[in-house]
Amino acid sequence: MKLLLCFLLPCALLAADPLPPCCRPPLPAGPPTDKSLYLLESHWTSDVGREIKLGALRGRPQVVAMFFTHCEYACPILVSELKSIESRLPPEVLAKVDFLLVSIDAQRDTPEALAAFREKRQLARERWTLLRGAADDVRELAALLGVNYAADSRGQFAHSNLITLLNAEGEIAFQHTGLKQDPTALIAAIQKAATGAQR
Amino acid sequence: MRIALPLIAAIFALGTARAAEPGMVAIPDGTYRPLFRMEKDAKEVPVAAFQLDAQPVTNGDFLIFVRENPKWRRSQVKRLFADEHYLAHWSGDLDLGSARPQQPVTNVSWFAAKAFASSRGKRLPTNAEWELAAGAGFTVTDGAKDPEFSQAIARWYGTPAPDVLPDAGHGRPNVFGVRDLHGLVWEWTSDFNSALVTGDARGDTGLERQLFCGAGSLGASNTVDYPAFMRFGFRSSLRAGYTVPNLGFRCAKDP
Repeated sequence: MKLLLCFLLPCALLAADPLPPCCRPPLPAGPPTDKSLYLLESHWTSDVGREIKLGALRGRPQVVAMFFTHCEYACPILVSELKSIESRLPPEVLAKVDFLLVSIDAQRDTPEALAAFREKRQLARERWTLLRGAADDVRELAALLGVNYAADSRGQFAHSNLITLLNAEGEIAFQHTGLKQDPTALIAAIQKAATGAQR
Repeated sequence: MRIALPLIAAIFALGTARAAEPGMVAIPDGTYRPLFRMEKDAKEVPVAAFQLDAQPVTNGDFLIFVRENPKWRRSQVKRLFADEHYLAHWSGDLDLGSARPQQPVTNVSWFAAKAFASSRGKRLPTNAEWELAAGAGFTVTDGAKDPEFSQAIARWYGTPAPDVLPDAGHGRPNVFGVRDLHGLVWEWTSDFNSALVTGDARGDTGLERQLFCGAGSLGASNTVDYPAFMRFGFRSSLRAGYTVPNLGFRCAKDP
């Protein structure tokens, strides 16, 4: 009975209010593939205060960028670009894709700061995950994505503006570099990856 | 007075060396001058005292590590964490083949280097730490003031990598007692990916202007330190899973 409840409860919640990507029940899947970022054991905290491993996002493609909320120049544009991509996806694709923002500012980007950022930028709860992690774990994830960054003395980070598409298994499927670049290829890749979504 | 300064430096290095754990050398705190920086950045970055391996990690050291940690063996490592050339110069999972135990280990990814370090209760040095240690000359802490040192490293950076790597630990020690920072292999740093230039995204960051514009290159802190430019370029070309035949590592530790 307990088991049944655990199983039914998330579904019930899902019907009422779509669960944010971080909080969906885990998929009954085998170990991640050899190239999956979901092999990472690091722990991350979402803007709702939930602690997860990246593997919790398995099952749906993720459009990933690294950013920080105090960013003055590039990140606001980066997030706007992600939102513009989101607005260009047809509903059936949108229902199968998540967006993931990971902060490189381990010090200042608390869950509260991330929550405020979500509010300010109006990022859909059922689709966007905002995560913060320990400095070493951020460095590791950045290294895997190929995002380079360095802190400067004004509390800003210079960083690569890179949008990465992870497929449902957490493998890098496509990367889009730079700001204000034509996103046509990225959007096509997202649509393709959405067909592989397991939920 | 000219003689006294290196002497004092040497005595100081000896004095601090005693505090380091076996195989490591204590590096006193100092300042690192980044090659590239944003306009408003400090010209100097303070680096706290730390310990650094006196020589690079060898094939022999790494063999012990993979024996104890099967998931880092050649046949078992996940592709995410090391590319297909991982330990390619060995004959098998636990067989060095023609590689010598005393040669620096190469063909290791950043992840593998990091895992090795952590298995020993250590970590990889940061760029700033590595560069600080590597900037020390044979006789004085500021290598730029040691002509013999400058010539020796310029010679290495201008020489193609030999087919067979020499053994680790035979390079001339710098004033701190650290060997082979130049002249043997390139080395991983913990934040190698803080170099803000990437070959495939030149419109990427503010720093790139400094790197690619003529005017920007004047912003480099030391335009004659060519080896530092090479290291900067090399690091920025790396991804964490890459393995390279002349890229190894050494470990660091807080004092």
